[in-house]
This record gives sequence, C-alpha cells and structure tokens, in this order.
Amino acid sequence: MLKDYLSPFAAGLAGHAELRAQQNTSRAVAMLNGDLISNARAQQGGVSARVYRNGVYGFASAVEYDEESVRRVLKAAEENALFLDSRVKKNAPALPVLPGGRKAVDREYTDIPQKDYIEFVRAMDDYLKRKYPALQSRQVVLRHDCMEKLLTVSDGTDSHSIRPRTHLIVRLTAEADDGMPVEYFNVIGGGEGILTDYFTDPAMYYAKLDEQVEQLMRKREGVFTNAGLKDVVLAPDLAGILAHEAVGHTVEADLVLGGSVAAHSLGKRVASDLVTLVDFAHTLPDGSRAPLPVYVDDEGTPACDEVLIRDGILVGYMNSRETALRFGMEPHGNARGYAYSDEPLIRMRNTAILPGRDKLEDMIAAIDDGYYFTRTNNGQADTTGEFMFGIMMGYEVKNGKLGRAIRDTTISGVAFQMLQTVDMLSDDMAWTCSGTCGKKQPMPVGMGGPAVKCKVNVAGK
Amino acid sequence: MMNQKDAAAYVLEQLQKAGADDAAVLVTTGKIDEMNIDGGEFSLMRSGFKSGLSLKAIKEQKTGNIHINSCEKETIDAAVADCMAAVLAAQPDEAESIAPKAENMSFTAGVLTPDRDLLFDRLREYMDTLHTEYPKINMEQLIAKYDHDDILLMNTNGVEMRYQNGAYVVSTMFSAHEGEKAGSFNGTYHLTEQLDRPLMELDMMRRLLRDAEGDLTAAPVPEKFEGTLLVSPAFMGEFLGTALGCYAGDYALISDTSIWKDKLGQKVASEGITLETRPLDERIVCGERFDINGFKSENGVILRDGVLESFCLSEYAARKTGRTRAANQSGAYFLRPGEKSLEELIAGIENGILINRFSGGQPGASGDFNGVAKNSFLIKDGRLAGAVTETMISGNFAALLQNLRGISRETACDGSTVLPWAAFDGVTVK
Repeated sequence: MLKDYLSPFAAGLAGHAELRAQQNTSRAVAMLNGDLISNARAQQGGVSARVYRNGVYGFASAVEYDEESVRRVLKAAEENALFLDSRVKKNAPALPVLPGGRKAVDREYTDIPQKDYIEFVRAMDDYLKRKYPALQSRQVVLRHDCMEKLLTVSDGTDSHSIRPRTHLIVRLTAEADDGMPVEYFNVIGGGEGILTDYFTDPAMYYAKLDEQVEQLMRKREGVFTNAGLKDVVLAPDLAGILAHEAVGHTVEADLVLGGSVAAHSLGKRVASDLVTLVDFAHTLPDGSRAPLPVYVDDEGTPACDEVLIRDGILVGYMNSRETALRFGMEPHGNARGYAYSDEPLIRMRNTAILPGRDKLEDMIAAIDDGYYFTRTNNGQADTTGEFMFGIMMGYEVKNGKLGRAIRDTTISGVAFQMLQTVDMLSDDMAWTCSGTCGKKQPMPVGMGGPAVKCKVNVAGK
Repeated sequence: MMNQKDAAAYVLEQLQKAGADDAAVLVTTGKIDEMNIDGGEFSLMRSGFKSGLSLKAIKEQKTGNIHINSCEKETIDAAVADCMAAVLAAQPDEAESIAPKAENMSFTAGVLTPDRDLLFDRLREYMDTLHTEYPKINMEQLIAKYDHDDILLMNTNGVEMRYQNGAYVVSTMFSAHEGEKAGSFNGTYHLTEQLDRPLMELDMMRRLLRDAEGDLTAAPVPEKFEGTLLVSPAFMGEFLGTALGCYAGDYALISDTSIWKDKLGQKVASEGITLETRPLDERIVCGERFDINGFKSENGVILRDGVLESFCLSEYAARKTGRTRAANQSGAYFLRPGEKSLEELIAGIENGILINRFSGGQPGASGDFNGVAKNSFLIKDGRLAGAVTETMISGNFAALLQNLRGISRETACDGSTVLPWAAFDGVTVK
C-alpha cells in the first residue's frame, strides 16, 4: 500500500491543486498453441501535482515518491502553470471550492504469484488441445491490472482507492472450407478483483470454452451479411459499447467544447422515449456495486451518477470541475488520470442504457428480415455521433427465427438518429469491465445495457 | 537511485546470481515537456521525467519478463525476484533467446535540448493561422511535446547498445463547424527534429484541414458500387500495418493462420508495389537503431515488385517458425512512389473513394475488412465529386494488394513514414 507523503502538503496548497501518488500493476500471461508467448509483469508508480491558475493547468510528475519528490513536483507544476498563464493570460475565474472530506480505501489487494496465472492458462489450453485438436489455432490470455491511487487536494475530498480487475480471454481460429481462417475471441470470465476472485477451478470454464468452439464452428459455416439498413437486435455486449462509444464520448464536456454533436442537443430529443442512459459512479439501482466503482475522482470531486439521456431527451454532460464551471453544471466525479504521470481527463465510469420491459425472444420474433448481433470486437465513434462497431458473432433473423451464423461484419449509424429507432429493450441487462477506453490516455471502464432492437447500417460484400 | 549503466549491470549480475542462464535489461530514462490546446484554447503545460527498466531472464529455456519504472536498488531486487519466479513457473521454449554478442554501439539522433519558448511560439502561430485561414475548423485537441529518451540495452552475452534521441511531436484532432452543422473529426501526427518552419506547413496539414472543411457538405453515396479505393498517405500507414499484421506479423505466422505463410519469394501483390521499412532513412525522425532484443536495425524490404521478400518477424517468432528475423521491428514504411501525379491518378478512376481515415473493426486473419470511410471523397468519372458520409467500404487486404491501379509520384512524410497515394481496385462501397 502506498505510504502517505501527500497529506503534510495539504495546508500549503494554494488555489486549486491536486497531489496524486499512484501505482499501476499489471500481469499478462498468454499461451498460443501451447507456447507461453507472454509471461510478463509490470509495475509503474510515482507522484504528480496539478495546479490551476487563471484558466490553465500546470502539471508535473516524478518517478520517485517521497517527501522531497512531492515538494519538487508541486514546484514544477506551479512553474508550468506560470509559464502558460504568463503567455496566454486567459484570466479565467477560480474554480468553485468544494467542501472537504476523506474516502478511505475500500478493499484489500493481494498480488497473486505469476505461476498461478500460468497454471490456469495452461489448464485452459490443455482442455482445448485435448478436446478440439482440429482447431487451427488457440490463444488463451489472462490479463490483470490494478490501480492504486492516493489523492490529496486543496479543496474537495482526499481519497485512497485500489481497483484491480482480471479477465480471461480466449481466441480461437478454425479453417473454413475455402481455406480461409475464421476467428472468434471472447472474454469468458472475470471482472473487478484479483485472480482468485474468479479463476480457481479451470473446470468452471470448460462449458464456456465448449460454447465458444460451438459458435466458432457455426461461424465457420457462416454467411456474409447483406449490406443495407437493417432491423437488428443488439445483444447487451453491443448495447454497452453503444452507450460508451456512440453516445458517451459525445457528451464528455471537453468534447462538447471541441464541437461534438451534443453541443447543440441539450434538452432535445436524441432517442426514443424508451432510452435512458446513465453513467453510474459506484452503485447500481439495485444497490449492487458497479463493475468499476469510482467514489472520488482525481480532482477530489465526490462521485455520483450522471444521467445523460432521460426518456429520450439529452439532459446532461460529464464534466471536470473546469468544464462544469463553463457549462454552469455540477461536477459529478468524471475526471480521472490513467497513470501517475497523466493529468485527469473527463472519463466515463460505468455507462449503460437502462433495461426495458421486453423479452429477447419477442424482440427476435418481431424481425422479418434482419440480424441478431451478439459479440463485438471493437467500436469507434466520431464527435458527430457517427459510430461503427466490428461484429464478431451474430445470426441471420428470418421471419422471427434465428438462422445461419454470420462472418465478421461491421455496423454503423449516427447515434442520435439510430437511438430514435429503438422500439424494444429487453428487461435484463449485462455488464462488462474488460474494456479499456482510449482518449489520449487509456482508462479501464465499465459498460452495460439490455438487448436493443433498432435499425442500423450493416456492411456486406 | 542508481544511474542507468550501474542499474543495468546490477540487474544482469543479480539475475545471474539468482540462476538465470541468460538475461537482458533495457533501461530507459527521459523527459517530456508537453503543451495542450483543448477546444481551441491553451489548457495545460505538463512535464515529467520518464524511467523504465525491463528485465528478461531465461533459465533452461524458460522465460520471464518484468517491467518497472524505478532504478532504486530495493525495487530492482524485488523485480529480479519476480522475474525469476516467473521463469520458474514457465515452460521451456527452444525459441527463447537473447541477442548474441555484437560490437557495442551508441547512437544519437534528433534534438537533445528542447526550446520550450519556440515550441509555444510555433503553437500560437499555428492557432493564429488556423483562425485566419480555416475559420470553420475547431481544434478539438492539439498536443505538442518534446520527447527525449536515453535507452541502454545490455545482456549477458556482452551486448551493450545505447540510443539518445529527442524530437518534437505534434498531434492534432479537429473538425469543421458551420452553425449546427459539423463534419467528422480528423487528425494529424508528426515527428520533427526542427521547429524551423510553421507547424501549418507540415506535410498533409493544410490538405487535411481543407478536406475537413469539405466534410461539412458530406452526403451518403447515391448507390452501392464496386470500385477503386484511393488511399491517401493519412491512412496508408494504418492500411499497410493492418494488412501486414494479418499476413506477415508474429501472431499470423506463429498461429499458422497467415495466408502468406508459404508465399515467401512469391508474388503476393501487384508488380508496382515495393514496400520497405527504413528506420535509418534521413527523413525518419529518431528511427529505430536497435530492437528491444538487442539486434541492430537495418533498412529492410518486405515486398519488392509485388514479391514477398520478408516477413515482419521478431527474433522469437523467427526462431519459433523457422523463418528469418525482419531487418527491423519499426513501422517506418516507405511505399515506392509511382509515375503519375495524384491528379492523373484521380483522372483515371471511374468510380471510387478517396479515403483519409477509416473507422472499422479489427480484421480477422483472412484480411477481410469493412468499416466506415471517414473524411473521404467520392470519385466519379475521374473527378472528386464531394465528401461522403455514412459510407461503408468492404474488401480484402490481400485482394486489394493484388489489384493495384496506380501509385502517385507525390509522397508525404510525417517523420515516421514516407508514403504516396495508392489506388486499389475491388472495394465495395455502400
């Protein structure tokens, strides 16, 4: 656990200033066709300071973490702020002062030995090799990362947090009849926590491996999608990325200032009235813990939920303290930095479309000619709201029935148009926190949603 | 805290004492000075010192890798213990190795003393020019930094290589706006050793800003068609890198899924395609001098006149698959230019798309791709016919490489690559 060299400096922090000590730890164990191609552990830590001065920030970081280095980075951050302020002269107002407080660490962390990761991966690989020798290739990956942060701020809430996550990823390839390789990868387990929270008994995951192979074999026989605007059902896996990529980024206030489509949409209808979209801070409506809870952000703002779309109307942005001041909104704890050397940026936390009242089977039955897309391998979105998701697994839907599996394809649309076509939402939802968002810096995020019936553009040959 | 050389020597000594047969260490120190512009306004000045220490140990052909960012003795001792624990838990792999003894080398490249004031002045000048000449452009984010690295690689075979380098890095993200209308964002990325010319004059900068303004009038393509994909230098690096990842990279060859796996020495692309990686070329800023395994980098040829001359393999993948290691591990792509001008190239295209950016899913091993053409323009009867939006393109990398229509004689250099425009037939546009 990080020692506290920061608190003694609190009294001397002038204006708005943050001191953050941080340690990021990661492990990656990967086996490809039985060979251990990655057996790595990484640990990076240090301390940083950020100082606000008349509308600009100065930031500095150092690898060493002791009293002297805290003093040094604070001085360097002040000098950097002065460098910029003296040239830019924005003369922006001071940030509103937040009341003080302290959030203590809420979980323990145990660093599990590397051999335990390797043994689990080997057990998964052995099972696949033994049971499915005809696979063209198999890759099994255990990935773990953990952020520990210690924060002292001039005003707002000091905090100490530890956020580990661990996931098992399996990537399989089979050769199609035409000789072309067909792939399917899947995150088959994991979440917030350490290895032993999820991966103690390999046999618990054999059924998921069997299911993945079965789906790969269906995909191997799969057909290419037909291009065009189609009626589709997006499984929860895709609803989560839709919430994050297609909508979430456009309502991050820094991107709104950059000219995102949401700049002109506040208070307007952007989705059908079935759609409510929330960036949850730490606790879900049923009282359970969010996939990656944030209680205090890296600006010392206590975190609470941010409702972005309510009943189809755009009602909010995600803010830092500075953008909240510009928009006349309240900051709700969205500013986070990835590494000790990274300044806080506006980031999503646990972003989701809320479930509706429909059953998945009824949603599929309501489609005459379309698709049911179940897995995505990535997603990107424009500040215009135009998005695309790679589809790695899915099925034709003909006359309300699931048909043949499909090969890889891509779907696209414009978020605020596409969301207005949503006419059914399933009454259940799923979450994941295996994703890492990219926006200058990476950041672990949670996302979720129900199955969504809507219209999207589907690519095709 | 130990200095770079002492830390490296200490790591190797401790790993050997702990039982390693072979060991290698990479120690990186450096500094960064960065200025940010957000939403068109200066927002942040950031500075920091970089430090990294990567350990690799091999015992009985079992390998472990550890990365830390501290050169404190206590932290190194813990990392050595972690590394050997990882080694002992691993399984033997005959392909694991460290680089053999070679002549010690030391390299210096780029600018080693930054001029922070001049960097600020260039940024202000750039923003002034942008506001005057491209009033519809909103600079969503601009990051300009001076990045300095001092890298020392040593191993127990006696390899010792050092590389000091520094460069300015300028990246932009922008879009055009007119009232409530907005175009797609686009961006640039440049490495440069000099700040002797305005940032606005960096290759492709004005063209992409102008194209972004054109995006304000974007419309969907009228109908689905099969035609020509004219890839601009702004997208060419990603296009080539993704294709090579599918067919010529470590994963593709180790997993045995590459459709080029038996094609070495054979024609896999059109004759007009000669693709090199040239990290030592003078136009490449602070290019790779040695790879992370300690092999000296050389310029290399991947495709010569359409023939696959080499894969892009690391030493591990080369040993694993019985093939030859690539001349370097860089992405310093040079695609040989053609005879025609860009204008002539466009004039020869009946139906096609000029693409500056692509938003698409990660293609599988087959190289089938589909996604959205961004900041792109329809080509109709030999002329640019307006920007497109909500336009999907699909095709296959291997097939496109075999269907080259032409390559421009103009090239663009961003400090990392030197690339022309190239037109490929056989893409579906909808």
